[in-house]
Amino acid sequence: MTDFSIRSDNVDVEQIMRQIRARIREKRGVDYTEEEIRELANVKLEKFLDPRGVRSDLLEQFRRKREASLPPNFKFEDTTLFETHRGLLAFIRRLLRPVLKLFFNPNPLIDALHIQSKLNAQQAALEPLYYEVIHNLVLETTRLGIDVKNLKMRVESMSSRLDFDERRARALEGVVQYRPGAVPPLQPPSGGGDSRAPESAEQSERRNRRRRRRGRRRPEERTGGRSGQGAQGAQGAQGALGAQGAQGALGAGGTPMSEGGEAEPIGEQSDDRDDRGLTPVHRDTDGEPSES
Amino acid sequence: MKLAVAVQRYGADINGGAELHARYIAERLARHAEVEVVTTCARDYVTWRNERPEGVDQVNGIPVRRFPVTHERDPNHFGRQSRRVFDQPHSIADEIAWLESEGPASPAMIDYLERSASKLDFILLFSYRYYHAWHGARRVPAKALLVPTAERDPAIGLGIFGATFRSVRAVMYNSHEERAMIQAATRNEEVPGVVVGIGSDIPARTDGERFRRKHNVRKPFAIYVGRIDENKGCKELFDFFLRYANTFPRGLDLVLIGSAIMPIPQHPRIHHLGFLPDEDKFDAIAASDLLIMPSYFESLSMVALEAWALGRPVLANGRCDVLKGQCIRSAAGLYYERYEEFAETLYALESNGPLHARLGRNGRDYFTQHYTWPVIERKYLDMFDQLKREDASGARRPVESLGGWLARRQRHQRPAAEVLTKIPSNAVVPGSGAAENLSRSA
Repeated sequence: MTDFSIRSDNVDVEQIMRQIRARIREKRGVDYTEEEIRELANVKLEKFLDPRGVRSDLLEQFRRKREASLPPNFKFEDTTLFETHRGLLAFIRRLLRPVLKLFFNPNPLIDALHIQSKLNAQQAALEPLYYEVIHNLVLETTRLGIDVKNLKMRVESMSSRLDFDERRARALEGVVQYRPGAVPPLQPPSGGGDSRAPESAEQSERRNRRRRRRGRRRPEERTGGRSGQGAQGAQGAQGALGAQGAQGALGAGGTPMSEGGEAEPIGEQSDDRDDRGLTPVHRDTDGEPSES
Repeated sequence: MKLAVAVQRYGADINGGAELHARYIAERLARHAEVEVVTTCARDYVTWRNERPEGVDQVNGIPVRRFPVTHERDPNHFGRQSRRVFDQPHSIADEIAWLESEGPASPAMIDYLERSASKLDFILLFSYRYYHAWHGARRVPAKALLVPTAERDPAIGLGIFGATFRSVRAVMYNSHEERAMIQAATRNEEVPGVVVGIGSDIPARTDGERFRRKHNVRKPFAIYVGRIDENKGCKELFDFFLRYANTFPRGLDLVLIGSAIMPIPQHPRIHHLGFLPDEDKFDAIAASDLLIMPSYFESLSMVALEAWALGRPVLANGRCDVLKGQCIRSAAGLYYERYEEFAETLYALESNGPLHARLGRNGRDYFTQHYTWPVIERKYLDMFDQLKREDASGARRPVESLGGWLARRQRHQRPAAEVLTKIPSNAVVPGSGAAENLSRSA
């Protein structure tokens, strides 16, 4: 999906649309029209997915056609050339065969035709097997085609979702602005009791500030209950719903932010998020996304 | 100053585009002048049946004078007439017969306008394509200002309207695209004109959360407001949205507000709330992330302006020149022409916070700059002043003759649909050839 960086106050809608179209072209390879794509999809479906396009009676069709069109095979032995049903004629041929062999040698011809006859028989036996294999291949190809199509759709869907989440995370990160010094840098664990004292004071001060901003919590909230809606929304974070959260704001990763933009621990986030978990950007009461 | 507003229907309960437009303008101009509305007794725009009493009435403090319609519309006859003038070579007489069959034919109303013209400063004629506007403009051209509310449909290609557009005193356009189309079709560049549009009574405060609670809408959503009709592009919207919903299972929902005259797909992310009162409508727009306008033909989308007024970006059908042009000029909306663009633009508006924010802010600025009531009223009043100065100078445009009995019956007129195809259809944007129009109207 397209990502646009809006850095300046001027938004050029035509430029954005050009970027979108370029992106679509890039994805697609060729800039087909909607109608062309539908046509192509239909062709594909006809070829691979339409059950009418798959001939399950392929073998039967072949057998029927073969029997109707092919001449019958015949056996070719060394005597086949001289065979006749007339006894006298058979006797004369056998008598004159040595004389015939004086003019040419019929044996290679007889051997060749004998081999050919054998080949024909073998071929006839193999052909059904070939067709059986082709038939199975067609079925397998169809099944694989459907599987590939489904997998492609799943990959596309996953990719879109991933893209969506990444962009949303990026957009939310762009909204959050950490105030320098608001969060103290991480300290190596000291273990000494003396060094804790100043930190505790600072943390205590921050905690107090936070409590002042949020007001006192009800017992059920402290024990992990929902932060509530409506009136509570004024102090909770309802940015995801786009309208409330007059004083709260939903920061990156669903972290409620103070008015000053100071990020609070994720563990304290409100439950008032939508089912997407996050919203692309926090909107204030007027629906304006907050731009810290 | 005394003004008359002539429109095909009028009433507080009539929410049609041009009629509502006329009512808003009448009520606003009543603050600066004595305004009388002249209309018919019809309430239904399909049949024009006389449903309201004839005579003078008051609507929101404005006197309304109603005249009966002489005949109801016969849809079959009107269909035949439309096919003749839109699709075949025809005559001027055919076009006048088409106008008569379209209605609402009210000769008494035209007679009244002519009779009272001497007492009036100006007459605002709404909707160029109806009987009252055409006959009114021909009978009292010296007082007539036309608010055409023209869409890109074949009627604009009819020859009889060219003379109307060229003979009125001024034309109050709804959009730059409408003006470009009318000027291309009728060559009326010499007639004073200004792109005005219309304002809207945006409430000072809206409560999106109230809407969410009342209608149990919890998730972020895009909104469509208007009649749910195939002609408004809703079928395509549903197709596109269902595909989008499959691709983004956790994306925006779609909330529909308005009466449905087509089936709405059953989908957990499509919510139809029916017709809502104005307060709920504005709250709904305020609660939404964006407004989708799938219509192919609009002369001006009031709901798009309302969304901009409330800081919501608009995703419009790019095949509608007017909406596309407004998105570009306002820099407050994106547009699509096919599914891929729909998905990309909706995704961009949904996920890109800075872009959404900037477009929303631009929309608010655009509305404030061009469509707040003081701006609209000022444009009307300036035009009246300009015309009065012209009156003083004695300049007059003669009404064009339509020819004699024989000339009107010669089939020399090209099919209107064919004429329409020759009219360029592009959004008017700064930097294009039509940019001078922009600067002139600004």
